[in-house]
Amino acid sequence: MKQTACELRQVWVSYGKTPALRGVSLQVAQGELLGLFGHNGAGKSTLLRAVLGLVPVQSGEVLVDGVPVQKRDLPRLRQRIGYVPQMLRVDAGTPVSVRDVVMMGQYAQIGWGRLPSQGHKQRADRALEAMGVTHLADKPFGHLSGGEQQRVLLACALAQSPRLLLMDEPTSSVDWQFVRELAGLIREVHEANHLTTIVVSHDAPFLARLCDRVVLMEGGEILGDLPASSLLKRVEQESG
Amino acid sequence: MMWLTLWSEGFMQRALLATVLSGVTCSLIGVLIVTMRLSFIGVCISHAAFAGAILGLYLGVPPLGSSLVTSLLAAGLLGPLADRGNLSPDTAIGVMFSASLALAFLLLALLPGPKSEALVWLWGNVLTVSRESLWLLAATASAIALLVVLFFKELQAVIFHRDLAAASGLPATAIFYGVLICSGVAITASLSAIGGLLVFSMVVNPAATAYQLTYRLSWMFLLSTLFAILTGWVGLALSALFNLPSGAMVVLVSTTMLLTAITFSPKRRAGTGGIR
Repeated sequence: MKQTACELRQVWVSYGKTPALRGVSLQVAQGELLGLFGHNGAGKSTLLRAVLGLVPVQSGEVLVDGVPVQKRDLPRLRQRIGYVPQMLRVDAGTPVSVRDVVMMGQYAQIGWGRLPSQGHKQRADRALEAMGVTHLADKPFGHLSGGEQQRVLLACALAQSPRLLLMDEPTSSVDWQFVRELAGLIREVHEANHLTTIVVSHDAPFLARLCDRVVLMEGGEILGDLPASSLLKRVEQESG
Repeated sequence: MMWLTLWSEGFMQRALLATVLSGVTCSLIGVLIVTMRLSFIGVCISHAAFAGAILGLYLGVPPLGSSLVTSLLAAGLLGPLADRGNLSPDTAIGVMFSASLALAFLLLALLPGPKSEALVWLWGNVLTVSRESLWLLAATASAIALLVVLFFKELQAVIFHRDLAAASGLPATAIFYGVLICSGVAITASLSAIGGLLVFSMVVNPAATAYQLTYRLSWMFLLSTLFAILTGWVGLALSALFNLPSGAMVVLVSTTMLLTAITFSPKRRAGTGGIR
């Protein structure tokens, strides 16, 4: 039996008086590629943020590799979690290059007041190469298309050498042609790096193509848990 | 000829040095304020510092100390308001900005006797800057330059995306508050030389000029410092030549430089510029 990489036990999270997660319990096995499916406001992104410790959990517990996500463990824990956020709103003139962005994933590991070593730079180069964006390395990040930005952010997460990869709505800022390519890319990254991956999306065909298992969420609760191959049928049944 | 001999005078040399030091201090902080989109927070802190100086004069305590307290208080209050307040950040900043200015002018009216000392904190006077103020500016400029060099990569990550920096394990919130506190210190240290009304343009204009010309953060820090020193010296020379107020001339020169940079900016031509 596979070990659990990430677990939520009766987790409650609220924004002000509005609950975003209502007693959510979930187990993700090591090496699994899990999809979180639901409409806007279902609590999917909040779940990812709870795993990262970016939102305070009011009750319940979040565990990563069996370790509770407590304040004192957060910086070290986050260094091993690759996070690709939902579409970034970055000004086109922002003085940050693609290579800078990919290096950023490692800054916490490098430590305060220290310069990146040759090893860190090589790791960033490998991540750029794996995502096919080496030719963009010296371009300003703000000049890239949505698809290129997704690749760069994925390279940033990869350069961190994560154990767990969290992706929030990776298809939200890319054109439909790239969505199919992106599914293949994420699957390739997941397998080549022996990752546990959680992908949040409201794009059912994308998750059905990509994931092993999909969890359905609505109103901050988990409605169902099914193999990815059954997702489209379930969505059709519910909408029809 | 008289104009040339002016530069060998002690007060003019102190003014040139004060321009360099306040230029370095304000321009480095300015890069962080401009790239993190905190411009209005900077305005608010500079006016709170001015109100604090007037409060100090009114209470008979050193104005520099009281302006440091109020600017740090403003920075400490604005951070959480911008982060998670019930008011929108713009509203919170607007309220604090107008309250600071109202308090400053109220205390100015209540001050007994001549107001000339108080008005120095409003308009500044780089030509009468004291030796103590120069030492304070030198210490502040060195400390901020050292912090920028030491924490360059962490600052860069927070400038790019605070949430992403936090998610990768960096203490992004602490860095953000550190920037606000450094802004308060830098503005306070420059206050007696530049004045509460003009200090903010010394923070924003050189950084906004540099932003128009480069896509590299390290270059932006260097260019911003260079522009701040250059505009300071040119402004000072023009004020000596035409016998005009030095602070106002420095600001007008830096504004002209910014407008020139916007006109010829490669970012504008590429459609990616814009002052923030």
